[in-house]
Amino acid sequence: MITLFMPLRGFSIAALCVRMVLAFICGGLVGIEREYKRRPAGFRTHILICMGAAMTTLTSQYLYLEMNYQTDMARLGAQVIAGIGFIGAGTIIVTRRQRIKGLTTAAGLWATAIIGLSLGAGFYEGGLLATILILTVELLLSKIGYLVQEYNPELNIYVEYQDRMCLERVVQALQNKNIRVLNMEVMRATSSERHSASTIFLLRRHKNISVDDLLSAITKIEGVATAEEL
Amino acid sequence: MSDTISFLREINLWSVILRLIMALFFGGLIGMERGSRHKAAGFRTYMLVCLGAALTMLLGQYQSEMLDVYWIECANVTGMRTDVTRFSAQVINGIGFLGAGTIIVTEHQAVKGLTTAAALWASACMGLVIGAGYYECVFLGFVLIFFCVRILNPIETHLIEKSRNMNLYIEFESMDDVRAIAACLREYSIHIYDIDLEHGKKEEYRYPSAVFTLRLNDKRSHAGIIAALFKLEHIKLIEEV
Repeated sequence: MITLFMPLRGFSIAALCVRMVLAFICGGLVGIEREYKRRPAGFRTHILICMGAAMTTLTSQYLYLEMNYQTDMARLGAQVIAGIGFIGAGTIIVTRRQRIKGLTTAAGLWATAIIGLSLGAGFYEGGLLATILILTVELLLSKIGYLVQEYNPELNIYVEYQDRMCLERVVQALQNKNIRVLNMEVMRATSSERHSASTIFLLRRHKNISVDDLLSAITKIEGVATAEEL
Repeated sequence: MSDTISFLREINLWSVILRLIMALFFGGLIGMERGSRHKAAGFRTYMLVCLGAALTMLLGQYQSEMLDVYWIECANVTGMRTDVTRFSAQVINGIGFLGAGTIIVTEHQAVKGLTTAAALWASACMGLVIGAGYYECVFLGFVLIFFCVRILNPIETHLIEKSRNMNLYIEFESMDDVRAIAACLREYSIHIYDIDLEHGKKEEYRYPSAVFTLRLNDKRSHAGIIAALFKLEHIKLIEEV
């Protein structure tokens, strides 16, 4: 443990200020990145949660160490961890296409709350280091997230037909190419002149066939109007 | 060597640094594997959850450590000590809630996101182990979790594909079409276990729908069956659920 922080682990006005201001700054730093990406929880949300969490551990330490009440110092702060899980669950949304969004925001808010707890408890090493690590990951490595998606072995393809009978030909063609159909959803158009039916395929891609080749092969099948990657 | 390890089992600046970086790294590795499959939670989500969990465990240990050394008087006066695991126990709860948000029931009666929730929760538990500095368990746990998401995933899809049981969600024009669908399924010698019917609503332009629980007597590709069923008239939508 860093001895430099030792005087700040007590309950002087200076220590109180340092803890609260650090919680404010660290919450804000994590939040700014989210704000910049236009995610639902902005930096004010993060600051409020980080400071709130810091206050709980501060208060319970004060009650125990200064006032000598018989209590467990960890009791107040522990509920924050579960409580912010609730708030986080509220930031998760399901879009029309059954995709989940906002999970990273939820996890970020939750991690911010724990940083707040650490700073409030005077565990500066943990709180500051975690902030630095999160910022490094968010700022420097966010590009890796896009790189990873390139290697996605699963592929969503949307196919429209003029003639619904040709679905069997498409399935047959995919099986001939040895491409696995993981899931499919077939629909009939209600009022469209361009096509009479459509399918969303979830496929497992192989290495020796590119997406463009596959799409053009599907389009060539008789009766297929369009094929697109989703 | 064993000196270094026992040094890292204690709470000091170096072990805090090591554990937080380990949490970030192992959480990220699990997330990398999950994130590459277009799943909701990317690798940053897993990193944040794992890091947060490790930090709660460290926080509990920090308070306990401080009580032993600097705040010992207070402990003597009140006769109360702190519980090291009180913070981290709530992680198990909190990430459960977070995971609940990822589970969705689609309008076609399919449940999605369960594996994401479970993987997130498992990585939070791994974060706790890392924070506690139980390094042997971390490596074993990580290898097994990684094995589960990486190696078992193709096996699972293979099993689903080869499975003789299948559930189909079908929308059709009117209730009379159920008989035609059942006849078509029987033609392929498919046994129908259960049909869960739902009357549509004309005002809302919702067609009647049904979830068919089927057992295939012959080996057939699921996609082939869907394609064959789609040839029937009056069918609006088919999805395997």
